[in-house]
Amino acid sequence: MNAAPRFPVRRKLLAVILAATAAALLVAIGAMVAYDLYLYRQSWINDLRTQADLLGRTSSAALTFDDPAAAQENLDLLRYRPRIRAAVIYDARGRRFASFAAPGAAPLPRLPGPEGVHVAGDHIVVFKRISNEREILGTVYLRADYRLYERLLGYLGIAAVVMGLAMAVAYLLSSRLRETFVRPLLAITAVASEVSERRNFSLRAEKLSEDEIGLLADSFNGMLAEIERMTRHLESSNAELAREVAERRRAEEEVLRLNAELEQRVRERTTQLEYTNAELEAFCYSVSHDLRAPLRSIDGFSQALIEDFPQHVPEEAKGYLARIRSATQRMGQLIEDLLNLSRVSRGELQRRDVDLGQIAQEVVAELRQREPQRKIEVSVWEGLKAHADARLMRAALENLIGNAWKFSSRTAEARIEIGALRDGEHATFFVRDNGAGFDMRYANKLFGAFQRLHGAGEFQGTGIGLATVQRIVHRHGGRIWADAQPGKGAVFYFTLGAPRAAGASELAA
Amino acid sequence: MARTPAPARSALGAIVALALLLALWSGAAPAQSPAPSSETDIKAAFLYKFGDFVQWPPEAFAGEDRFVVGVMGADEIAEALERLVGERRVKGYPIAVRRLRPGDSLRGVHVLFVGSGESGRLAEILAAADAQPILAVTDSEAGLRAGSMINFVVENQRVRFDIALPPAERARLKISSRLLAVARKVIAS
Repeated sequence: MNAAPRFPVRRKLLAVILAATAAALLVAIGAMVAYDLYLYRQSWINDLRTQADLLGRTSSAALTFDDPAAAQENLDLLRYRPRIRAAVIYDARGRRFASFAAPGAAPLPRLPGPEGVHVAGDHIVVFKRISNEREILGTVYLRADYRLYERLLGYLGIAAVVMGLAMAVAYLLSSRLRETFVRPLLAITAVASEVSERRNFSLRAEKLSEDEIGLLADSFNGMLAEIERMTRHLESSNAELAREVAERRRAEEEVLRLNAELEQRVRERTTQLEYTNAELEAFCYSVSHDLRAPLRSIDGFSQALIEDFPQHVPEEAKGYLARIRSATQRMGQLIEDLLNLSRVSRGELQRRDVDLGQIAQEVVAELRQREPQRKIEVSVWEGLKAHADARLMRAALENLIGNAWKFSSRTAEARIEIGALRDGEHATFFVRDNGAGFDMRYANKLFGAFQRLHGAGEFQGTGIGLATVQRIVHRHGGRIWADAQPGKGAVFYFTLGAPRAAGASELAA
Repeated sequence: MARTPAPARSALGAIVALALLLALWSGAAPAQSPAPSSETDIKAAFLYKFGDFVQWPPEAFAGEDRFVVGVMGADEIAEALERLVGERRVKGYPIAVRRLRPGDSLRGVHVLFVGSGESGRLAEILAAADAQPILAVTDSEAGLRAGSMINFVVENQRVRFDIALPPAERARLKISSRLLAVARKVIAS
């Protein structure tokens, strides 16, 4: 990770700077040389043309008046122009009128050539006609050095020296300058590799410049700060989490311990309760049972008194005896009910598929038989199937339908309806009447034993029926509740908890 | 930039040059004697050629449509001139040769040549022309002293000339320095 890079930025920068310098110099020198050579050629040509023109003009008089000496004087002045190697003035007939040749110059042309300038190898040749306004007086010939290659070579030499110097300066400058670029970069690189090696996010890169690298350093530091913050946050939340987990585990253990304790206590209590309950019920049963014998004696002897001594017992005494009998019968009924209640609590729950509708019909039939004079409309829905203990369900329905029967006795068009509302698997059974109803304020007292909402004179009853029904429903894991309005009737709803209770029946509407 | 002409090219160039020169000479030939080598012819030709190197004041050509060369006392020169001028022009004017005698009017004359035939009355003739815009040319040793502006001399079998500037200045003639450059001798003011 920390290995030296194969192509360090330092060397790359140097290469870039040197390459750019060299390229710029080459282009600049090339352009300058080309331009200069072009200028050199143009100015040299112009110069020669002018020179030829001048010679022609100054020699026109010499030609006109046939004075070669004067022309020769003009030509001889060319020795001050060492680059002009040869010059000739021809007369109008093309004969040499005057000539000049620098030492070592090439042979002079015998005849004038066509007017113009041309570059031939390393020299320039100019032919220029001399004329006055009307006639040609002669021709000027000039021949000059044209040392293009020498000039070019000279330039190349200068270019080489300039290039060398420039590159040296560029190298020195760049080695100084690149540090200002590279140093901040290297600082960041060093910090970055240290961070990645040691996972130390508290390190910060030093900002050494105010350029993009400086920005990079800032961003890098910002990133590090963010990472550091997040790492710290993560660590603290991890610790928090660990603490929470430990706490929860402790709480769970506590709960488990408490649960175990509770279960233990429940078990103990249950055992205790069961024992107490069994004792109580046994007691209740035996008491009830034992209470019936003297009652039967009281009732029996009271009846015997009335039947055996019709003449000896005065009418008033008969009335009293009748009241004794009625009281003993009510007490007998009370004991019966208590026995029922205790019976409901005892014994195994034997669930099977039962048709509550059928049970209800049987109960209604018994009631009709007992009170054939009652005009009452009873409707029992079909398909009231349940999975329950048939004996207990019969007891419950006897109570509920019996209540309905009883509390609707004073209603003109009495009506009882037994049905069920189904919500999927769950069925809510109900027994509805349009009898006396009750005030919902007392609904909480409905299912307590010996709780009566109506006076004994109004409706007969022991106050144990609904307590029995509730116990039956509870034993099935169900719920019971009521809805009523005084004078408008009452509805008792109950459910039977077991899932199979709703069995294979449908709502028969 | 530099190029070496191919041999064919230089040969062609030479031919073209020759053709051009021949054409020029043939064009000029009718107006020019085949060999103006005689001293008389040369002097005659010089007389009008001076016109190209001398500037006359404007009034010298007022109302003139010719460049008039007056010849006095030198019939052979006048003849040569008449023969040579042909279609030639000086300062845009056709050249006219006028033979003069002493005492003739010099009106309209631009160049006055006084030949050896009138050497005796040279001073008198030149005095008549003095201060007029007339280029006075003579052909005698005493010419310049007598008030001439240009005087022919023969030296090494070549026709040369001397120039005196004071009379030219009086005549308001401007003689080109190029002419002065080819003069054998110049007498300045």
